[in-house]
Amino acid sequence: MIQVSNLSFSYTRQPFISGMNFSVSAGEIFGFLGPSGAGKSTLQKILIGMLGTYQGSAVVNGIECKKRTKAFYEEIGVDFEFSTMYEKLTARENLRFFASLYEKKPRPMETLLRMAGLEQDGDKRVAQYSKGMKSRLNFIKALLHDPLLLCLDEPTSGLDPTNSRMMKDMILAEKSRGKTILLTTHNMQDAAELCDRVAFIVGGKICALDSPHNLIMAKGAATVTYTWVEEDGEHSADCPLGRLSSDGRLKGLIAGNRLQSIHSSEPTLNDIFMEITGRTLL
Amino acid sequence: MRVKAMFLADMRFQARYGFYFLYAVLTVVYGMVLYALPEGWREKAAAILIFSDPASMGLFFMGAIVLLEKSQRTPWAFAASPVRPMEYVIGKVGSLSAVSLAVAAVLALTAGVGNLPMVLLGTAMAGGMFTLSGIVVAAKISSLNQFILWTVPVEVVGFVPAVLHLFGITPDWLRYYPVNVCMEMVSGAVPSPAGIFVAAAWTAVLLGLSGQAVLAMWGSGGGGKL
Repeated sequence: MIQVSNLSFSYTRQPFISGMNFSVSAGEIFGFLGPSGAGKSTLQKILIGMLGTYQGSAVVNGIECKKRTKAFYEEIGVDFEFSTMYEKLTARENLRFFASLYEKKPRPMETLLRMAGLEQDGDKRVAQYSKGMKSRLNFIKALLHDPLLLCLDEPTSGLDPTNSRMMKDMILAEKSRGKTILLTTHNMQDAAELCDRVAFIVGGKICALDSPHNLIMAKGAATVTYTWVEEDGEHSADCPLGRLSSDGRLKGLIAGNRLQSIHSSEPTLNDIFMEITGRTLL
Repeated sequence: MRVKAMFLADMRFQARYGFYFLYAVLTVVYGMVLYALPEGWREKAAAILIFSDPASMGLFFMGAIVLLEKSQRTPWAFAASPVRPMEYVIGKVGSLSAVSLAVAAVLALTAGVGNLPMVLLGTAMAGGMFTLSGIVVAAKISSLNQFILWTVPVEVVGFVPAVLHLFGITPDWLRYYPVNVCMEMVSGAVPSPAGIFVAAAWTAVLLGLSGQAVLAMWGSGGGGKL
């Protein structure tokens, strides 16, 4: 679905994106992770044809992005981080209008509104919507023309846990319909939950690219933390999960029934991001 | 098809923001003013009223419309859709021209102007030029203050020569000045073919410039504030 080769881009004389190479298969959820200013949004702008002055190649659905035509957008649905609706029009009026811009037969508007839990609010003006409702409406707007590729920019940003869950379920439902999804996010939990593969982007470069599971497993083993009590107070120690049998102290504590607590923990994607890039996402 | 969708959406947008209500009220007020004037003054007064309001309202309303759209981030949606800048521009020009023509027709009929088709043609031409100029300016700015500042030079070169021309104060080298040609038509006179050609050519240039300005606005995503 997407092939990017030696992609470079610059707003000034300094390169902003340099030497990027990756591909995204059809039906995959692919995440761009990185701090603000890392180049994620610029990369997404290139892939949706909004920036045509790049070097190298960025091919989406068989079309070089800088040579896009109207047909290019028939198969791309973009959900920006903010609402892009007419505030004084109702949700139904907005959806009807944006659907009319495409050649393709639109998906049934009422089905989409029901999916987003907005069927009772379809005749309200968008200005009266809450942030969560606007986010869901913006998302289904991107689905109207049933595109093959969905580009989602921070789809759960600023949402409460209920709205965030609804949004993630809608994203997974689209994946099950065979859509390819590009997800740009700061949120490591969302990325770990939703993405088949993620690319860590820092300073306009891809620092790592793999599935969240592989990144976690390759870079950080699970550890076991245990505590016990001595005369001078409570102590704790860590041991890699794979070396438990060779930890003499742990064996002694178990034999003497002296363990106060024991639990295992895996590094999070955020820990891996920090380890690889030396930076945090926030 | 997409032009029709853009045209209808613009009309709905303008209706929701009260543009049509405002123009209905203004038309009644202008009509009453014309009716109150002595008969001999009405044609010239109608020409000035039509030229300075329905014909040129696109210059001012484009600022409001495009800035409202920027504040609602709809330019981002258009940038990532099959809509072409020219379709967006034609939708805007068409929707505002519809209002201009309706108001101009009422005023011309109230004043008893003889050549109504010529008045409407002149209104459409002047309206197109002013609306396109408004798009060029509005696409580049991000606040109402900036818009007001940038429209001042457009107003000076767009209004002053035309009003002077109506009263016969025109240097020879400004004979084919596009807004002067439009003013002739708005006052019911038939301009020379050369004048019509120059006005049409200038409209085509403005059409090209406004298409480029919209493309640049979409590339940067807009994001203005009121």
